[in-house]
Amino acid sequence: MGGPIASLNPLNRADGSASYKCVSTGSNILGSVNAPIELPGRRDALKPEEATIEVFVKPGTAPGGVGERYIEGVIRNALGRLILGRENGYPRRGVVITLAIVGGESVGRGGSYLPLLPALLHTAALALLSASVPLSMTLSATVLAVDSSGEIIREPSVKDAKAATSLHALAFTSKGQLLLNESEGAFDFGTWETVYERALAICHGTSTLSSDGDVAMTENVDSQPLEGVLRDTVQDQIHSEYAWKIDAA
Amino acid sequence: MSSPLILLPGDEVPSEYLPSKSSAPLRLGHGLRLLSQPHPTPGSTPSNHTLTATQPGILSTDNKRNAVSILSSSNRRYIPTPNDLVLAQVHHSSADYFHCMITPQSPHALLGQLSFEGATKKTRPMLKQGDLVYARVLSIGLGAGAEAELACVNPATGKAEPGGLGHLTGGMVFDISTGMASRLMKASSSSSDQQDGVAGLVVLDELGKKLEKAGGFEIAVGRNGKVWVDCSNSEHDAVKSTVAIGRCLTMIDEHNLNPTDQRKLVTRILREMKIESS
Amino acid sequence: MNKEALLSIAERDFILDALREDVRLDGRAADQLRPLTLSFEEEHGHVKVQLGKTSLIVRISAEVAQPHDDRPFDGIFNIAMELTAMGSPAWDNGRQGDLETYVTNVLDRVIRHSNALDTESLCILKGVSCWTIRADVHITDYDGNLIDASCIGVMAGLQHFRRPDAVVKDGQVIVYGLDERVPVPLNITHKPLSVSFHTFDEGKLVVLDATRKEEQASEADVVIGMNNAGDVCYLSKFSGSPVDAMVFVTKTTVALDKVKEINGIIDKALQADLAKRAKGGLAEESRAANDR
Repeated sequence: MGGPIASLNPLNRADGSASYKCVSTGSNILGSVNAPIELPGRRDALKPEEATIEVFVKPGTAPGGVGERYIEGVIRNALGRLILGRENGYPRRGVVITLAIVGGESVGRGGSYLPLLPALLHTAALALLSASVPLSMTLSATVLAVDSSGEIIREPSVKDAKAATSLHALAFTSKGQLLLNESEGAFDFGTWETVYERALAICHGTSTLSSDGDVAMTENVDSQPLEGVLRDTVQDQIHSEYAWKIDAA
Repeated sequence: MSSPLILLPGDEVPSEYLPSKSSAPLRLGHGLRLLSQPHPTPGSTPSNHTLTATQPGILSTDNKRNAVSILSSSNRRYIPTPNDLVLAQVHHSSADYFHCMITPQSPHALLGQLSFEGATKKTRPMLKQGDLVYARVLSIGLGAGAEAELACVNPATGKAEPGGLGHLTGGMVFDISTGMASRLMKASSSSSDQQDGVAGLVVLDELGKKLEKAGGFEIAVGRNGKVWVDCSNSEHDAVKSTVAIGRCLTMIDEHNLNPTDQRKLVTRILREMKIESS
Repeated sequence: MNKEALLSIAERDFILDALREDVRLDGRAADQLRPLTLSFEEEHGHVKVQLGKTSLIVRISAEVAQPHDDRPFDGIFNIAMELTAMGSPAWDNGRQGDLETYVTNVLDRVIRHSNALDTESLCILKGVSCWTIRADVHITDYDGNLIDASCIGVMAGLQHFRRPDAVVKDGQVIVYGLDERVPVPLNITHKPLSVSFHTFDEGKLVVLDATRKEEQASEADVVIGMNNAGDVCYLSKFSGSPVDAMVFVTKTTVALDKVKEINGIIDKALQADLAKRAKGGLAEESRAANDR
């Protein structure tokens, strides 16, 4: 299994953009961020001291609907905890995040967005980074499916996700705190604890909290932790942009 | 300096990277913030503050000014910062102010009708919608929804300092990234004999040399990612030269060209546009 | 807002002055197209179009549905286009602007109403089930000439797309999965494309494939839709200052050349993609006919 493929700034017009492809689920997301911009007609925001965050999810081959509006709310809440909306130039302005699903199986009407959530969150985070929107920290996320035999499948394919008894999407901040937890299906506390440990290991590598050595070991073999993938993508971009400065030094 | 340190939001700035002269207070620049630990563990060192990054970028320290800041991604929206020179476009005017656009889809900035060199109530410039001004950001206001204020004159001396501030007529505007704008700013304000030019740009020197015979050109770089170019001194190739300069600048910005490729590009475009160069 | 910021007087004047000297900002000739590249993704009917700095993604999808009551023999074909803040910071998410309405209308007229896709071939069982073909156009970067770029994207997507095979057995419709039976290409009757021109200086200067700044500085636009055979299927000049009738006559000839040129580029890209798939052992998938 290969890790995700990500790149920064694929677009010209948007203030910041990112493309993200998750190899195991086949999803391919293109994201753009425009910030800080004026949002006409929305000046009386609930919190005038902060920036208004808008998230728009555009499905690839169908008109948008309730499912999209719901997941937009989930993404907005998670990102709202990271974006520093009081920094200079941001209060009363908008941070407009647009995420288009440009590849992979599309979510049917009424279908679950959970399998796509980590890819959407990563794309949004990378696009925010490329637009230099002030953030308190970054995030990493993953989705796990638990099948009927209790086996945990990392980033399940569409077929696996459908067959699973429960699905869990978890996101962590770059400091390892749990940022988002969305689950569906039937499961018990014990299952969730195992899922949590595994997800933390996927996002942050070997977890010191984990007493179960096996889990951490398999993840290390699997691939590099997701947090590192995001970091490398951003560092590569900064490196190439400042090549003139770094080479001269 | 060793290899540059690239930080992501949330990363702490390691103390060994900070300027060590502790007498003067440390100046915090763009992209950094100070966090105090809410519960200092008893018995720990008194320094319970940490510096963390809020934007991704290269950590840059200035030992002389005892300052530290983050050089962030070059392709982003411009946010007005005091003392920056910008290229603003008049949108409409009111009794005392011209309302100017610095970046599209952002709130207008105010430019006082008397903030021009030698302007009085009777001699103030009559600017209309779509006119361009080269101005300095005077202040950005405080609090949410504050408006930035611009000036085309140094309030202390009453002169347009540095030269060139004020209404720009003719010429053409090209859009570039904000990172390229600040590099061009550095490159155009100081000339060097270095092989690699200033800030990795040789394009202005190269164009200057080649277009000297044709009458040279004027350039005004705005930190808001706009550059104004005028070749009206040139007798017959004014339009072509302007287009050639614009194409060179935008191509170098897009493809992040190194000095050798910049020279090649200038030669190629001038030949393509059939401009006689010296 | 949904409106790009106005150009400054300097930009407007310069673009016009330069055109009077037959110079364009990117060094093109008046009748020259920006570099056009098409790339196809793994999925059928997923195409990326890059025209200068304008770029977009088209995805074609098929679904079984019930035909409209008044046309029981026809399948359904829709082109969906929504301008999001991704293409330009000036566009608002979820709000339809004038540009969106205009471009959608032209696409409908050039491709749908000229019957480029034979909708009768989409019928599976009269009055009961048919294919619904949907073309989603995602604008990712806007730098002028959305109409032509979208047209190219939709036409290339339709030619690249393969729908699942379906048969009627004992009054039952059976749809085969993509791995069960070789999917079928769509029945394309002709390949219409649009070519947009913008006029300046009281209609004296006409340029092809305008960039965003040129569009903003122009006085009027003329759109001609035609196919390789030279059949004109669309002609419009909606607003702006008058244009001399001769412009339509002379520019129709130019448009024909461009349509041939662009269709050539599309064909080449399709063939290159086919060759790539054949190499990957997917030769069967691209073969047109099924054993029935």
